[in-house]
Amino acid sequence: MTAGSATPPRTLTRAPGTGPGPGLRRRIAAFSPGTYLIMGVLVVLTIYPMVWMLLGSFKSLGEFYTNIWGLPQVWRWSNFSLAWNDVQLGQKFINSIIATLGTLILTLPLCSMAGYAFARVDFPLRRYIYYFVLAGIMIPFGVTAVPVLTTEVSLGLFDTRLGLILVYAAQNLPFGIFLMYSFFQSIPGELEEAALIDGCNRFKAFLRIVLPLAKPGLATLLIFTGTSVWNEYLMASVLIHQPNLETLPLGLVNFTTAHSTNYPELFAALSIVTAPVVLLYLVAQRQFISGLTAGALKG
Amino acid sequence: MPSAAGLAASAVRPWRRPSGRRLNRKLFGLAMVAPALLLYVVFVIYPLFRGAFVSLYQWDGLSPTMTWFGLRNYKYALEDPVFLLSLRNTFQYAIGVTIVKNVLGLGLAVLLNRKLRGRAFFRTAGFLPVIFSFVVVGVLWSWIFNPTFGLADKLLQSIGLGSLEPGWLSDPHLALWSVMWVDVWKWTGFHMVLYLAALQNVPKELYEAAAIDGAGRWQTFRRVTVPSIRPVIAFSTLLALTGAFVANYDVVYVMTGGGPLNSTQVALTYIVSTTFSAQEVGLANAMSMILFVGVAIIGAVQLAVMTRGREPLR
Repeated sequence: MTAGSATPPRTLTRAPGTGPGPGLRRRIAAFSPGTYLIMGVLVVLTIYPMVWMLLGSFKSLGEFYTNIWGLPQVWRWSNFSLAWNDVQLGQKFINSIIATLGTLILTLPLCSMAGYAFARVDFPLRRYIYYFVLAGIMIPFGVTAVPVLTTEVSLGLFDTRLGLILVYAAQNLPFGIFLMYSFFQSIPGELEEAALIDGCNRFKAFLRIVLPLAKPGLATLLIFTGTSVWNEYLMASVLIHQPNLETLPLGLVNFTTAHSTNYPELFAALSIVTAPVVLLYLVAQRQFISGLTAGALKG
Repeated sequence: MPSAAGLAASAVRPWRRPSGRRLNRKLFGLAMVAPALLLYVVFVIYPLFRGAFVSLYQWDGLSPTMTWFGLRNYKYALEDPVFLLSLRNTFQYAIGVTIVKNVLGLGLAVLLNRKLRGRAFFRTAGFLPVIFSFVVVGVLWSWIFNPTFGLADKLLQSIGLGSLEPGWLSDPHLALWSVMWVDVWKWTGFHMVLYLAALQNVPKELYEAAAIDGAGRWQTFRRVTVPSIRPVIAFSTLLALTGAFVANYDVVYVMTGGGPLNSTQVALTYIVSTTFSAQEVGLANAMSMILFVGVAIIGAVQLAVMTRGREPLR
């Protein structure tokens, strides 16, 4: 996103074959119809299904079958309110928001604290504990779904919001700690030392001096954890059974199986559920992209 | 190793401060790590061991008594043709989508790694499916593959191939490929962005040197680009591989439920149905352990091969 606009002069003055390093410059800067064709196919492939979903959610059932490609003849906004009531989307929105916020309230402080300690504080077995936590990145959580269920039952947390939040938080810890650890390592140590000399205790120095510098890391962590919790289905389906505690993905799947013939309404529900994430993405896409890819690049 | 702060403090109060500081620091470090560690051990590590333990028993998941079963659950699992089929499908799924996502992602990134009008737009659009829930994506593509009014068939009809009428999700030979396509559709943009970021970090001088040496496009790609971004390739394929092994539950469950004829049954969907429909919790845990060991071995081998002779990932 940055590079396209960063160096305009070179692109403007370029003419085929005249730039320095003859073959190369031309190749890098050349206009190529083939590239646009491929990118056009990519854009159609990624965006058209979503447009189709949105258009479909305005159609009547009959039109849904007969007028597949076109715009709806009558824009039926009522599909949205019907879907909202039938799927009880209001309640499920609240549940999803609680699950997501609850997880974030736990993971952001816990990952920052642990990441900071692993990066900066010398304590016994630090290295081994760090590797022990890091190994969690490799554990496929689906495999632990069933034993997690038994654990929750024995702790009395099964089928509760808190139970779901604790599991989400725990599963997001290894990556989050790894991310914050990498971040704290890149912040110079002199600042906290100065704060310690000034009489701050260690926790205050961490809270007031170091943490504010790690805001980009926290933003990345927030988006990564937030999206993965908002979209999570398997754990929720195993751990939540009361309809009034269902999160959005659960509600959607149950609606699919219950009303498998009312497609426009189903599409309306899909559109409603997807809209907030898409809007957030369009507003903060830089943060989204770096948030979701940071782990791989830092690794 | 006394810090500057420690030295300064000991200069003021030399008789007490040094050891106090050190103890303080140790306790502080442990206290900062403890809450995260507790949560991690209770909800990730303990269940893993608990799963290994339960896999040695016959248990329906509810009754208070568990019958010691030794390794019989493992024997039954490995003799169960559906479980073996689900493992085979899991491998086909994971390896197939890993290759396609990474090849496509790298290819698109190479195309985008130049001055191109609209590059930011292509990047934004390509990444869009990544933020979608697999539930939404799965439901959406189920209707696209629907035989009566789905887009996929209408598209074939409009280019004169309507007579094919492939049963995208109903033909046992095709269904798994259709589901794999949906995974590729959702994740390719992620790998594209990853590779694009890596490509932008390759020093320009290397390309200029290659051009001066008269290297062609393919040669430049092989000899300059690939070695430079090798760690990212390793990480990206590892991510795709382990992800595809264990994050395929949602999309399979929503699109086909494992059918037709178990042709899209993957290990996770079969494990969950073994637990909740068949109530064979011990057996399901044995299957989980087999899957876990398989994923760990493949992940380790893949990482070892991809980083061979290189400095290991930080």
